[in-house]
Amino acid sequence: MTSSMKTRKTSPGGKDYGYSNARIRGMRSRLLGEPFLKGLTAAPDTSALIQDLSGTEYGSDLDEALIHGRTAASVDEALKNNLVRTYRKVQGFLNDEASYIVSTLLGRWDVFNVKTILRGNHMHLSAQEIADGLLPAGALSLVELEALTILGDIKAVVDTAVTWGLPYAPAMREGYAEYMRSGELADLELALDRYYTHLASSRLAGRGLNARVAREILGVQIDTMNLVMVFRLQKADLESVKVEEFFLDGGKSISQDLYNELAHMSDVDEVIDRLKGTPYGHTLDAAVLKYLEENSISVFERTLEDFHMRKALAVGRGDPLGIGIAIAYLWAKQNEVTNLRIIVKGKSVGMPMERVRRELILV
Amino acid sequence: MIKNRLAKWVFGSTFVAAWLVPAIAFAEEAAAESVEWQTAAAKSMAAGLAMGLSALAAGYAQAKIGSAGAGTLAERPEVSIWIITLQALPEIIVLLGFVSAIMISG
Repeated sequence: MTSSMKTRKTSPGGKDYGYSNARIRGMRSRLLGEPFLKGLTAAPDTSALIQDLSGTEYGSDLDEALIHGRTAASVDEALKNNLVRTYRKVQGFLNDEASYIVSTLLGRWDVFNVKTILRGNHMHLSAQEIADGLLPAGALSLVELEALTILGDIKAVVDTAVTWGLPYAPAMREGYAEYMRSGELADLELALDRYYTHLASSRLAGRGLNARVAREILGVQIDTMNLVMVFRLQKADLESVKVEEFFLDGGKSISQDLYNELAHMSDVDEVIDRLKGTPYGHTLDAAVLKYLEENSISVFERTLEDFHMRKALAVGRGDPLGIGIAIAYLWAKQNEVTNLRIIVKGKSVGMPMERVRRELILV
Repeated sequence: MIKNRLAKWVFGSTFVAAWLVPAIAFAEEAAAESVEWQTAAAKSMAAGLAMGLSALAAGYAQAKIGSAGAGTLAERPEVSIWIITLQALPEIIVLLGFVSAIMISG
């Protein structure tokens, strides 16, 4: 097993974005549009949905996955496989600089997967249940992740990661010591997040327009994580929690001071008011009404995720011979797969069409 | 004394007439020939530059278009006609360079 963020592959060298960006534009032209997605929501059942999807990019993945039965779970598996395959394909033809930047940004999927495995083990889920939640779109392969999944114990996962020399092993080892002391999985997850944001920030610290674009996306992502934490802390007992420790460095607009100020505020309205001068103010303000209806912090989490998605898609409208095209495509593909999974899941549980449409992330 | 001076003047004049004037005339002729040669050389160089630089520019443009075209064809083979057309467009630059070169050297 090798550390994948350091893995080099055969790809066009230098900084020529002509080939890769033209190819990505070709792939982008096959993304499913809003009318198609809305049409899918109107499909009477899963079989009709499978039939509609068979004529798209997902056809071959569906053929493979449906061997196990024409169920929503199989379709979900096919959608995940397609996403992973597409990400690997794009990374395969990017030039050296783009590959470096993209692998850094996609490191968040590695963190997501490692966290999924740790959470699964913490909650004593079966290996299959954990594996169902994985999405190997980062540098860690499915084989590596499945090998970690079957270990069945957090200590074994950490030890194996250290033995393999995975990039996140030092953070896992450090976080595990804290986890053993406190019994809180959040400590282990925070160590992973902190390690990733620090690693990604330092990898993207270079000069040039492409590094700047990637830094901006990473900055928004870190801000999003910090703000989500601020909203979650609204429900926490601040006497027993050191809120400053949850701050992740490297954000674009949320500084440590602002974060501390926000985290100590008494209610959500105050937080929204304080954020009005930042890029997130307007977006969050627009979500207040929905929050009052649902009385759930997840409304803001979803709003911030949408904001991050919009930012990532917007960089694709910048330099036609820059990294923005690749970043925007990868995020758009993720968005499409997320929407399809929502539709499939909604259909399988009999969710009303209007509700499914409301859940879609149409940006 | 006067005769001596006159002799010197005549001798000098004869020398000038016999050597210097033809030398000057030859130099002028040579200079005229040199200008012609320089003009011809400059024209040839200009024509060569017009042709060479336009060919290099077309090559650069075709490399970029070819790279992007290959990427497009990998995903969308149905647009191959467009790619071939775009690939051929920079040839016009070479043709313009060629015409310029002929006009310069002609």
